[in-house]
Amino acid sequence: MIDIYDLKKEYTEEDIPTQALRGVTFSIDKGEFVSVMGPSGSGKSTLLHIMSFLDRPTGGSYKFQGKSIDEMTDQELARVRNKDMGFVFQSFNLLSRLTVYDNVEIPLLYSDIPPKKRQTLVEEAVRSVGLEEKLYQEAGRLSGGQKQRVAIARALVTDPNVIFADEPTGNLDSQSGLQIMEILKSLNDKGRTVVLVTHETQTAEFANRVIRIKDGMVESDKFITANNINRKNFK
Amino acid sequence: MLLKDAVKTATRSLTHGKMRSILTMLGIVIGIASVIILMSIGQSAQNLILNQVKNIGSNVVFILPGATKGSKFSSPASTQGIIIKTLTKNDVNALQAEPSVIRVAPQVQNQGRIIYGNNDTTVTYVGTTGDFFPIRNFGIQKGVALTNRDNELLNHVVVLGSKISDVLFGNLNPIDKYIRLDGISFRVVGVLELKGLGPLGVDNDTLAFIPLSVAQKQLLGTDYYNVITVQANDVYNTGFVTSRITSVLRQDHHITNPDKDDFTIRTQEDALSLLGNVTSILTLFLAAIASISLVVGGIGIMNIMLVAVTERTREIGLRKAVGATNGDILKQFLIESVLLTIIGGTVGIAIGAGIVGLVYFVLSTFFSSIGWVFAFPISAVVLGLLVSGVAGIVFGIYPAYQAGKKNPIDALRYE
Repeated sequence: MIDIYDLKKEYTEEDIPTQALRGVTFSIDKGEFVSVMGPSGSGKSTLLHIMSFLDRPTGGSYKFQGKSIDEMTDQELARVRNKDMGFVFQSFNLLSRLTVYDNVEIPLLYSDIPPKKRQTLVEEAVRSVGLEEKLYQEAGRLSGGQKQRVAIARALVTDPNVIFADEPTGNLDSQSGLQIMEILKSLNDKGRTVVLVTHETQTAEFANRVIRIKDGMVESDKFITANNINRKNFK
Repeated sequence: MLLKDAVKTATRSLTHGKMRSILTMLGIVIGIASVIILMSIGQSAQNLILNQVKNIGSNVVFILPGATKGSKFSSPASTQGIIIKTLTKNDVNALQAEPSVIRVAPQVQNQGRIIYGNNDTTVTYVGTTGDFFPIRNFGIQKGVALTNRDNELLNHVVVLGSKISDVLFGNLNPIDKYIRLDGISFRVVGVLELKGLGPLGVDNDTLAFIPLSVAQKQLLGTDYYNVITVQANDVYNTGFVTSRITSVLRQDHHITNPDKDDFTIRTQEDALSLLGNVTSILTLFLAAIASISLVVGGIGIMNIMLVAVTERTREIGLRKAVGATNGDILKQFLIESVLLTIIGGTVGIAIGAGIVGLVYFVLSTFFSSIGWVFAFPISAVVLGLLVSGVAGIVFGIYPAYQAGKKNPIDALRYE
């Protein structure tokens, strides 16, 4: 599903080049739950941005579902983001003045799903995160945990193959954070690939594989066979 | 993205900042309203002026003494205070023999003092024959018009324009009352219908008409004419009649070299084309001035859209992350600015129409003698909508482009 080989990313700011990624190699198969961990500045966010087609690498290769990012136009990337990827952000990124319904509907506006089908899809997605009673409430009035659940519903609504989550619990209290991780876990149990970026070990432990990034390179890549989730003392 | 969804999204973000949207529109509203108002008032003024020229009567040809130098619109010497005596009784006789001419009315005119009882004023009097009234379409409100017989018999009779009649007689019936004009007594036989301003601003309603022979022999002591007015036969076109009259007069005046013509022929068509040109240039000029405010309004929209693009950076990033293309984002912002300008334009047209209607109401109620006509050209509405739509695109495209090309990562990080 995700094949990364010798991936490099160099930024040039005020003529000073910075290497954010210096040759990262790994693959993620369909149905995995992968945590990408690392301290801030390690390059994990850059890696996520490239994996999720929001940015392009400056070296190496990246194939998503067998297709190389270099062979795709910006328009095609947008298409794949819409159809095959779902996004959950640390800061939710909901449009606070729109209702839950309208927020979840946004990805569908850019898809070719006919308007008639949209309502069912939105309602299904909102139900799957348990917020069907808040369907027509303004997103800005929800609690943090609820907001993130709306964001997950939005990520799910186009039925993507992969969900990318960038520090999804970073702005939440431990109770809500746990809830969010349970939802992500259950999505993975149903066969969806989940890629989680975090710097919290407890959060990372929900995954069955942890890739540690340091200074733009893979430091370790470990599979967790028996999940040892510490739900009682989460965070 | 479907157009329907794009419009819905745009409408939603416009209604979220209602006050701002309204204020942003204001520039376009004022711009379009002023273009509409000036165009339609210009049109009204043009219609008014052209109607007055048409009032002269159809197929009317004026013959003025003296040649015209330069273009056909420059004024002949006779209108510049130079006395030219070339138009005489012989010309009238010759013109009456011309088959393309139906009626011929020579005329003289001068200023005189007119007195009735204690009312005493200065008047322009016109000495002419009975043919003058049908040629010029002058209707009679009370009494009768002058006749050719009055002219032959040197009858001391006068027909008054309706305003001069009001000045002298007020509510009295002027018929068969006697007035004095430059010391000579005249019996009032008729009062003209209200005619309004004539061409070149002469107010026909303030004139007094007396027999030509009386004016020439007893008031002026001259034997030439100031103007000969000719009614041409409808069958012939004005160009043909003009050339016939020219050759008749040249023969009569023994002129062989056309450069030495001692007369000038003017037709209603000449006046119409001249005034038509002048007024449409004026209207265009006014509209051009008004469109400056449109540009200002457009820049206001551009400004606000740029602010909106910055404010909504995160929204743009999110939309792009979940699949919006640069084109989708550009479309969304462009639709917002076009919606703003089209709604503004529509409101502007409505306000413009309201003000034009009000102007018409005031002028026709309180200044009815002007004869103001209501004109609200459909072209102005179409132009207004078109211009506002185009303004939305022109002034919206840059901010929309800025929005579309935003990098989603930077946009999502934006605080």
